[in-house]
Amino acid sequence: MTKRITIDPITRIEGHLRVDIEVENGSVSNAWASCTMWRGIEKILQGRDPREAWLFTQRFCGVCTTVHAMASVRAVEDALKLEIPLNAQLIRNLILIAHALHDHIVHFYHLSALDWVDVMQIPKADVNKTTALADSLSNWAGNSKNAFRQAKDKVLAVAASGQLGIFTNGYWGHPQMRLSPEVNLLAFAHYVQALDIQRKANMIVGMLGGKTPHIQNLTVGGVANAINLDSQATMNMDRLVEIKKLFDEVMNFVHNVYVPDVCAIAGMYPDWFSIGGGVKSYLAVPDLPLDTKSQAYDLPGGYLFDGNLGGVKTFKTAADDAFRKGVTEDVTHAWYEGSKPLHPWQGETVPQFTDWEADKKYSWVKAPRFQGKPMQVGPLAQVLIGYASGHELTRKWASAALAKVSAVAGVKATPDMLHSTLGRHAARAIRCAMLAELAGKHWQMLVENIGKGDVATHNAPQFPAGEISGVGTHEAPRGTLSHWVVVANGKIKNYQGVVPSTWNASPRDNNGKHGPYEASVMHSPIHDPQQPLEVIRTIHSFDPCMACACHTFDPEGKKLATVKVL
Amino acid sequence: MKKILIGGVGSVLLGDDGVGPYAAHLIDANFEFSEGVVVEDLGTPGLDLVAHLTGVRALIIVDSVDNRKEPGSVTLYRKQDILKVRPAIRMDPHSPALTETLFVAELAGDAPDDVLLIGVTGKTYGDTPGLSDEVEAAVESAIAEVLREIERLGESYSRKAQPSDAGIWWTAYSENAV
Repeated sequence: MTKRITIDPITRIEGHLRVDIEVENGSVSNAWASCTMWRGIEKILQGRDPREAWLFTQRFCGVCTTVHAMASVRAVEDALKLEIPLNAQLIRNLILIAHALHDHIVHFYHLSALDWVDVMQIPKADVNKTTALADSLSNWAGNSKNAFRQAKDKVLAVAASGQLGIFTNGYWGHPQMRLSPEVNLLAFAHYVQALDIQRKANMIVGMLGGKTPHIQNLTVGGVANAINLDSQATMNMDRLVEIKKLFDEVMNFVHNVYVPDVCAIAGMYPDWFSIGGGVKSYLAVPDLPLDTKSQAYDLPGGYLFDGNLGGVKTFKTAADDAFRKGVTEDVTHAWYEGSKPLHPWQGETVPQFTDWEADKKYSWVKAPRFQGKPMQVGPLAQVLIGYASGHELTRKWASAALAKVSAVAGVKATPDMLHSTLGRHAARAIRCAMLAELAGKHWQMLVENIGKGDVATHNAPQFPAGEISGVGTHEAPRGTLSHWVVVANGKIKNYQGVVPSTWNASPRDNNGKHGPYEASVMHSPIHDPQQPLEVIRTIHSFDPCMACACHTFDPEGKKLATVKVL
Repeated sequence: MKKILIGGVGSVLLGDDGVGPYAAHLIDANFEFSEGVVVEDLGTPGLDLVAHLTGVRALIIVDSVDNRKEPGSVTLYRKQDILKVRPAIRMDPHSPALTETLFVAELAGDAPDDVLLIGVTGKTYGDTPGLSDEVEAAVESAIAEVLREIERLGESYSRKAQPSDAGIWWTAYSENAV
């Protein structure tokens, strides 16, 4: 007997991610991922001044505002072949690192940990045992007996007030929840501490970007930060030292809490290293440029197909020719007009809404493809490409994480196990550890460059007559982000954003090939169709974000899964 | 001293969803407040809103709501009204709405004592910036509710002699925009 399950928490107005699955004999036999809201943002940009596009693209998404601002200015700079002063590159890099640290911490602790952690078990936890366990994992100062007791008391107080139901994203009591009460308490205590740490990472974005959300310091050609080490009104040494302190505090948490927590929890669910793989072709672009011409980078990019790590190809630059030429978007199963895959510079965004039709059109997300193939993007792609191409920093943190997982699970963890639901969580922690380490390096480079007397932050753009085109990329927390712009006589003629979640949430293409979300839940076990926790775990492991940026409050509340017997 | 945050929430690119940021920009341009009152265009922060609640004793949010009333209706919700909503399982980071944000802030010890959501019922959430006539007409009463709440909280405000530029950049002229 086949059951169709629709997981659609959202109304027409909110319009985000919907996942439909068919379940047969306790396993997923078919899957569809769709975005239920129309994105016409590209149209809003037509005819506008390319220098102000970033203000608009920054509102693509309310959670990752910064990344869209950055990709937009980079796209226009690529079209103009404009060099960026070193200070501006480094200030941008520090903003991007701080944003990613904030985003990854929030994703793990506040958006997905409760898929694995059962808060209802915490009242049974032995505080002494939790403290001993924490001490065995790291020497983080927040791992005190007192902190764990307070966390336990908090849960008891909330339970007494009857408000625990608010965490309905936790399927508590589900048989797939398998952590001991002590591990649940440990994770919950860190959940609360992570709130303070993510806020500090976000403060760095605000200090460098002028404001958060919606940074204000970007400009095509550089940044608008004034640098004068002796002036209180500009970026000076006091401010830089303050920023460094915040970075150090966040790094301490990432290295001593986030990475150990992910490895410990993953080690206790070892079967989830063989669930949720799906599309094993991966794509990432280089990021954190180290020079004014964006020729050298601290983070590698490239691609590999079908899990073949030995066949990895690397990109030389963030706008490498192979990337520039390799991307197309197909609309066979998306609610747009069009008959063949188009390159983003030729991209069209003309809506053609039908109903949700399983065999025809069923999503507002287009199907991006690289060299004609569906690709998975995100931290897992970043880490596998870095690992496969021998990138030293990636290898260092990946090896450390795999060793920690092995110790907890009692089996040897290998890079091949990363093609999985837990592999995505592990890779995100690995990437975050790398970024935390690189923050110190880029901060040092900025201080040294300013120390040499270089205070330049901006090169003025000149728009030629005629048509030019560019691509701006950023390897964002959720993966490869690219903005594609065509400028004619100084005005935007076409603008397309190919965002990470479009790669991952992509519907089927003209060849009927599933996108990564769809492929990842195929054949997943489903213990209880009324509580499809397994699907939620796998989809959440991608850190989905539909970039639709509409979230109208609904005072009536909603329900989640509807199950229909076919 | 703990501050009061007046926040406009919503996407300025999606029609009536932009009513919160629009109101925040107008309030900032037209009024001055006693010390410790901050006005912010918060965009669509989802759970990131928690980061803005540290050191905030009272939160006043203007947002579009979907409450099946006539477009342009202004409805007030207090903390308890918001906390009693049982949120759905979320699939992405936008979905943790105000309810979860307040609850998480409570866990962190950062939740404001006073919360007022001034909800404006939207009409269109299309793909162009700018408000429908009904919602545009409701902005004045939404702002009046903000000012009333400021007085209730024991703070003061005054109208600026010379309003500053509201900076509503998203509805600025674009010659080819549809």
